[in-house]
Amino acid sequence: MTLHDLYLLSPELSLASLGMVVIILDMVLRRKGVLAAVSVVGLLAPLAFSISLWGDLSGEPDGQMVGIFNTLVVDKFSLFFKFLVMGIVALVVMSSVEYVSRLRQFQGEYYGLMLFSASGMMLLAATTDLISTYVALELTTLPLVALAAFLRDSRSTEAGIKFLLLSAMSSAVLLYGMTLTYGFTGTTQLVEIFERLGASLDATVPFGSHALFLGVIMIVAGFGFKIAAVPFQMWVPDVYEGAPTPITAYLSVASKAAGFAIILRVFYIGFGEISLDWAALFAVLSAVSMTVGNLVAIAQKNIKRMLAYSTIAHAGFLMVGVASIAARVPVGETTLGPSGVLFYLVAYAVTNLAAFFAIIAISNRTGSDMISSFAGMGRRAPFLAIILAFAIVSLLGIPPTAGFMGKLYMFSAAMKSDLAWLVVVGVVNSAISAYYYLKVIRVMYMVDPEGEEKIHVAYAPQAALYITALGILALGIFPGPLMTVAEKAVAVLFR
Amino acid sequence: MSALETLLLVLAIFGVLTGLSVIVLSLIWLERKFLGRMQMRMGPMHVGPFGLLQPVADAVKLMAKEDLLSSLVDRVVYWVAPLAVFVPTFMIWVTIPVARDLVIRNLDMGLFYIIAFSVLSIVGLVTAGWASSNKYAVLGGFRAAAQLVSYEIPLILAVLGVAMLAQSMNLEEVVNSQSTVVYALVQPLGLVIFFIAGLAELGRTPFDIHPAESEVVGGPFVEYSGAHWAVFFLAEYINTFAIAALTVLLFLGGWLFPGISGDVSALGVLVFLVKTYLVILVVFWIRGTYPRLRIDQLMSLGWKVLVPLALVNVVITASYMFYGWSAWSLSLMSLAILGAAIWGLSKRMRTAPTPEYTVKLYVPAPEASNAG
Amino acid sequence: MLPLDIAFWVMAAVGVATALAVVMEKDIFRAALFLVVSFLVVAGIFVLLNAEFLAMVQVLVYVGAISILIIFAIMLTRNAHEGNPFNSFQLPALVLSTMMLAAIAFVAVNTEWHDWDQLGLQVLPGDSGEVFSATEQGIKNVFGNTTQVIARLLMRDFVLPMEAASVVLLAAVIGALALVRENEGEA
Repeated sequence: MTLHDLYLLSPELSLASLGMVVIILDMVLRRKGVLAAVSVVGLLAPLAFSISLWGDLSGEPDGQMVGIFNTLVVDKFSLFFKFLVMGIVALVVMSSVEYVSRLRQFQGEYYGLMLFSASGMMLLAATTDLISTYVALELTTLPLVALAAFLRDSRSTEAGIKFLLLSAMSSAVLLYGMTLTYGFTGTTQLVEIFERLGASLDATVPFGSHALFLGVIMIVAGFGFKIAAVPFQMWVPDVYEGAPTPITAYLSVASKAAGFAIILRVFYIGFGEISLDWAALFAVLSAVSMTVGNLVAIAQKNIKRMLAYSTIAHAGFLMVGVASIAARVPVGETTLGPSGVLFYLVAYAVTNLAAFFAIIAISNRTGSDMISSFAGMGRRAPFLAIILAFAIVSLLGIPPTAGFMGKLYMFSAAMKSDLAWLVVVGVVNSAISAYYYLKVIRVMYMVDPEGEEKIHVAYAPQAALYITALGILALGIFPGPLMTVAEKAVAVLFR
Repeated sequence: MSALETLLLVLAIFGVLTGLSVIVLSLIWLERKFLGRMQMRMGPMHVGPFGLLQPVADAVKLMAKEDLLSSLVDRVVYWVAPLAVFVPTFMIWVTIPVARDLVIRNLDMGLFYIIAFSVLSIVGLVTAGWASSNKYAVLGGFRAAAQLVSYEIPLILAVLGVAMLAQSMNLEEVVNSQSTVVYALVQPLGLVIFFIAGLAELGRTPFDIHPAESEVVGGPFVEYSGAHWAVFFLAEYINTFAIAALTVLLFLGGWLFPGISGDVSALGVLVFLVKTYLVILVVFWIRGTYPRLRIDQLMSLGWKVLVPLALVNVVITASYMFYGWSAWSLSLMSLAILGAAIWGLSKRMRTAPTPEYTVKLYVPAPEASNAG
Repeated sequence: MLPLDIAFWVMAAVGVATALAVVMEKDIFRAALFLVVSFLVVAGIFVLLNAEFLAMVQVLVYVGAISILIIFAIMLTRNAHEGNPFNSFQLPALVLSTMMLAAIAFVAVNTEWHDWDQLGLQVLPGDSGEVFSATEQGIKNVFGNTTQVIARLLMRDFVLPMEAASVVLLAAVIGALALVRENEGEA
């Protein structure tokens, strides 16, 4: 453990310290409004460290810096997710201001827990060993459990308890899978797992070995919980509905991004030898998730529940990219699957955050999350309605939005990996999703409003809305730069 | 393990059991006499010379007493509880040496073993409280669980300090490493923390919160009578002796004494016993002097004073070990922190107004009519 | 049969029986007590595996802390005496756990487990005079002094997860405190 190790860990360290600072400030300060500002401005510290690390990477021959006894890696892949997580946290904090100001106590804890969770996500993307992965996963999840139950009304408490129990369950399954993998390979290091698998697989058995078969399925189940894939999605609707809406937004994008980060790293690096086997597994999960998510979403009357099922469907779309493992395709086109996932994650983040921010702003006034309460918002809140409509268009995947480009990358990756059937399922599902997405737009513009009162939005949430809407548009028209970065980021997965 | 070794082991265990019973009888007599003298009384005088046979008479009385059983109790659990308290109490003696090489099994992880098994008896206490189907017993069980779990932490941290100094968790090595200077002088802070936390673990005055007669009329033991109550009683005194013995082994040099060669076992045992009984007299002395703490005082002393102090103790020990400072520097630091803590506490006790307590009863909130 | 074998089988049987009792017992307080026994038996099995340190940790953490907390929670539960309400999922649970058991047993029996000892156990170089093979030396190194090996792994090789775990605990404590805050009324 040297100073350099600490430097490699500095983004996570500074973010966790920021969480503690916010909590301590909450005890000292009278004016709680400062806390959100501190949380956002304080993000500059991890940001600066991450930028500095990114700069240092150019000097490394193999594009990565490994530290703390090979448990932590700094490469463009992990830094990409660090930037993404920091961006999401900043936006969610900005949108929470109004929501949180209604709490009389524990505002600092609200932001602090969010920052702790973010530091867990950043760590998760940077771990190269299964034990650290597990701990980082818990660091990601536990604060979110507390945040989901933060309101303490019956819905919120139910959300917290369900989340806690099911995440404990999924952790157990994940750990069991990791244990089997460790038993088979004798190591927890992903790189070593890869090397030893190369020497010890039996081609006649699926996944190369019975232990690995069970182990990989259990690991997929454990991670599948975090990214809300069917059949590990039971917690999603209730938690999304009961949790404070900003937390729902945070959960739907940040938690999912961290989940995919670790899935990509564990499977592409650790289990690279058996990629065809698990790719088929992910392809099936992907098709099931898309279909179940979209079909159940149709019946929803609560917009948060609807978006919960939509997020399950999007986990399906994202898994198309994971499944598009191009191990048998010549190098050069291989990165389209994982880099498409990275692009889709960013696109989904801005889109979903925009949708949730608009919903937060509207339901803060109407006090209801039902789709029917959005009636006439085109007149009552033209600005919010147009952004919500735009975000929904992007979720649906219509040009010129980020969502369209994301789906385009996903499907072309799948085509190149001979997964045409998955593309068909995806396209059919996009068509199904149009039904319930457009219903919201119809309610906002075609149905008469219940009142005439205009809805105003505070300064910070408004800024967050502008940023996300701009992001949707920018990524929809100029996807190139982000895609270039994403391709650079996933380069470390192919070595 | 050969048959002879097994036989020896069994004999040793019986020996320890017998020895402990005799010690407990002596402790009971000592406590009554000592408390009597402190309160200007004579203590027991009638049974035997100086009342020496009084504890034997007590024991006979307890054994002959009827074992009463309330009709509401959960019988199996009720009968298991005394055992669950007594067995771990006895098991820690497996590795406590009374002199050089005079121990049943000298475990390399002796200290850790003792800590781990001494925790077990909490389960027994809580179980006793629950199984008795008695409000006072349940309350006592609660109190026991809260108190013992809280004070476990400073106790372990204080032991950790010693283990760090001795670089071993083997009790014999811990004692041997004190041949030049005893750890009481190197780590006075650790000694004080260990002793206070140990008293709390025993549930002795001023920490007798869970059996407090005037509040929960005997706590978890309220329903027990006769031989079963005697088992709890036995366990409590064995524990008292164990904590005193550990204090001697960890901080007061065990069987070592300047000028006495430790090689002679009998002499070593004598030194050890004298030291242990002196520590026990301090325990009795405290019982005769101080009133009982309130439960909130007890918890705040544990969490707000002892746990931080114990952490500081570990930190200064670690830095002393890491930087290789001379031994007296650790003593000075330890003393300074101890002094500061005592000064701060006494000042606070003098200046702080008696807090007013409002007791809030739990009333379930009326179900909100959620039409949505 | 060696005495150690007998000890193992007795402990294994007791462990399985008490674990089953935890699930089947209707009185949740008794179930918690069975859990304590089950934890203790696991500690015993650790001892048989020469992992004394782990056994002590098991006793200290699981029996001493976790089960006390569970018992505490049970005592604070209203209607704890009513016990475990009859669970309508008993049959599916039985089927599922049997399948799980079958899968794990199948995997354990049929997998060609590899022997990575030479690599995995080279933790501390020993300097005993006797001549061992690399594996034997490795086993001796590890099981001769588990405490040191675990300390080395925990404080050196896996220091990152260990320190991260402390942040997890901090977050858990803060989260718990935020959730048990006093009712603030509707602000």
